[in-house]
Amino acid sequence: MEVKINQVEKVITAQFIGRLDTPASLEVSRQVQPLIDHADLTVVLDCSQMEYISSSGLRIFLTIRKAASARGGRVIIRNMNEDIRKVFMMTGFLNLFEVEKA
Amino acid sequence: MKKGIENKSFLRQASKTGLLLIVVAIVTLEATALVQYYFSQKGIREEASLRAQSQLESTRLKISAVIDEAETAVRNSVWIAQWSLGYPDSMVAVTRRIVCENPVVVGSTIALVPGYLPSRPLFSPYSYQMPGENEVHYRQLATEAYDYPSQEWFVKPLELQAGYWSEPYVDEGGGDILMTTYSMPLWDYKGRLAAVLTADISLDWLTDLVGNVEVYPNAFSMMISRTGQIMVCPVESLIMSRRAQEVAADMEGGDVFDELNRSMMAGETGNLSLKYRKTTNYVFYAPVEKTGWSMSIVIPDSEIYGGIRRIGMMVKVLQLVGILMLILILRSSIKSQLKFKKLSENKERMESELKIGRGIQMSMIPKIFPPFPERKDIDMYASIVPAKEVGGDLYDFYIREEKLYFCIGDVSGKGVPASLVMAVTRRLFRTVSAHEKSPQRIVTIMNDSMSDMNESNMFVTFFTGVLDLGNGHLRYCNAGHNAPLLVTGQGVRELPVVSNLPLGVMPGTSFQEQETDLACQDGLFCYTDGLTEAENAGHELFGDDRLIALLRSDSLAESQLKAVSQSVMEFVGDAPQSDDLTMLYLRYMNESLPDRAERHLILHNDIQQIPQLAGFIEAIADEIHLDQSLAMSLNLALEEAVSNVIMYAYPEGSDGLVDIEAIIRHDRLDFIITDSGKPFDPTQAPEVDTTLGVEERAIGGLGIYLVRNIMDDVRYERAEAKNILSMTKRIQ
Repeated sequence: MEVKINQVEKVITAQFIGRLDTPASLEVSRQVQPLIDHADLTVVLDCSQMEYISSSGLRIFLTIRKAASARGGRVIIRNMNEDIRKVFMMTGFLNLFEVEKA
Repeated sequence: MKKGIENKSFLRQASKTGLLLIVVAIVTLEATALVQYYFSQKGIREEASLRAQSQLESTRLKISAVIDEAETAVRNSVWIAQWSLGYPDSMVAVTRRIVCENPVVVGSTIALVPGYLPSRPLFSPYSYQMPGENEVHYRQLATEAYDYPSQEWFVKPLELQAGYWSEPYVDEGGGDILMTTYSMPLWDYKGRLAAVLTADISLDWLTDLVGNVEVYPNAFSMMISRTGQIMVCPVESLIMSRRAQEVAADMEGGDVFDELNRSMMAGETGNLSLKYRKTTNYVFYAPVEKTGWSMSIVIPDSEIYGGIRRIGMMVKVLQLVGILMLILILRSSIKSQLKFKKLSENKERMESELKIGRGIQMSMIPKIFPPFPERKDIDMYASIVPAKEVGGDLYDFYIREEKLYFCIGDVSGKGVPASLVMAVTRRLFRTVSAHEKSPQRIVTIMNDSMSDMNESNMFVTFFTGVLDLGNGHLRYCNAGHNAPLLVTGQGVRELPVVSNLPLGVMPGTSFQEQETDLACQDGLFCYTDGLTEAENAGHELFGDDRLIALLRSDSLAESQLKAVSQSVMEFVGDAPQSDDLTMLYLRYMNESLPDRAERHLILHNDIQQIPQLAGFIEAIADEIHLDQSLAMSLNLALEEAVSNVIMYAYPEGSDGLVDIEAIIRHDRLDFIITDSGKPFDPTQAPEVDTTLGVEERAIGGLGIYLVRNIMDDVRYERAEAKNILSMTKRIQ
């Protein structure tokens, strides 16, 4: 799992590449610390290359979303594939995030 | 009515036997008494005879002594009397001397033969004593009034030319005493018969002597002379006044008296019995020598036999008492026999009712094998052996809509109560299963129904299953029954069962349904604990191991079940059957069923091993051509379940294993995750509310939520210190 974080003015983008499974989540939860630190901005979570997500991955997304909610920022999920979208739907997460397609 | 007649005939029979017994007892007792009486009587008679004869003998001896003394006195005086013939005047002195010197002699005379002395043609000087006096008187017997030469005492000795005892007589001149006289002829020196010398003796003592002979209190003695003159007799008026012959002639039955008199007067010795005035008397008699007298002792038989008759009387009374007691005992014995007969009749009736009950009970369960001869996909056999006439075990099965419904159960207790509950249970099973497809529903409804009216607190351990004959899928529900055995080509193992409560314990109990799949030739061996707990004489149990060793997946149901029965019978031997024994064996024989496959993955409790699951799932997905999306869902569910185990089941830093088994069938996938960590049931985690907003949503709990959502069925079980999480996903 690779996470690329890129900030352009007030939009901070994180690109997830690969499988966000349980062991990966341990590492990723540290890597996404800048997103939590900049939760007052607009955070874009680019999932176009994310192949898989487990509940621990979902927890990271929820942590970011809660931080944004507290700090008045936005969280946008972009380009989820169908399978991941199904997981989001199943867990009610679709209602918690702004979801964009490309 | 029939019983009444039977009882009467029994009573008649018993009375007959009783009567016979009493008759035999009476005859035996009477015969014994008679024999005893006869011999006792004989002994007593001999004793009496001995006593009488010895009395006769001793009396006779006493009389003889007196007689001898008198004879001796006379003989000793013969010389002087001879001498005095020459000196007639001295004769008085001679007779006086005889009287004085011999106390028994009360009178004596020398009576000259008339004409011997021309000077004294009749001469008989007589010296005598009055009774009770010592003084000796003199009298001349030759008087005009007394013609002595014609007297017996004078004539007889001369005639016989020998000593002679006269007939007893009463001496009117000498004080009316009974006397007798011994007289001897006297010859002078020239050898001429000259005179008769006499000695009189009083017989008063004779009356005393003979009269006082007392053999028995009421016995008496008599003495008669040679002519029958009565000398001694209890009736004084008869003495010397009557002759015995005259008395006999006056008596009834005089013949015997005549015979007695003749025998006695002839000087014979003997005895005879005399009947007089309804009394039998025994008479013993013997003669007194020289005098021609005869003495008799008369003993009434009541004297002799009085004692023995009293004893006989007592014996009779005792016999009567004994017989009465015998009758009473017989009576009560007949009564108790009648009672016993009634009891055994009751027992017979109950036994026959039980036999009928058994017939009814056996007709409730399917007993025709093979039960479905037209079907090739099921091979079944079952048997039930109650410990008593009726039992509390049951089994049942039938096919509805291509599904085999079957059950086995064991009612607590044995005998009639258990059999009634068994009948109810079996009926309920049929009724409920007729419109319920789920074993769990069937069991729940049955339990509620049975708990409601269970006043006797009887419960039923029960196992029921519904086998889909099309695909081998078995859904089952257990209510406290022992786990059936699963017989497969790989071996024999217990079907995993949740024990649950038995039926009838508590209304509202929730039961858990389980499921598994049977492959072709898989068998399910259901039984009651009467099988594994069958005891031999040494109280050893048949046990699971013996049973498991007997089961083979390639045996036909019938031969398999018979082999088990045979083995149990041999094991138990002569020991009584302690519990009902029931077996139900079904083998699934659907050859068109696709084989199932199993895949295994074993992980350490390290979170870094999680990615291996992806490869595991991918391999399975490729094998059975699952689409990517489903594969990912399965991967997700499996990862959530496994990571739960890794994070929560084992303590931090300890090493443990997680076993992941996948069972692949044509229509479903089963994943079974097993670990040896601390008990942890993820299915108990609280539900996640997916409708909440960002602030309210909790961070945790998503993992198990995903598992539940992805899988069709999730079950947790703790067994043998292991957490077993089973998940099912239907495919196609």
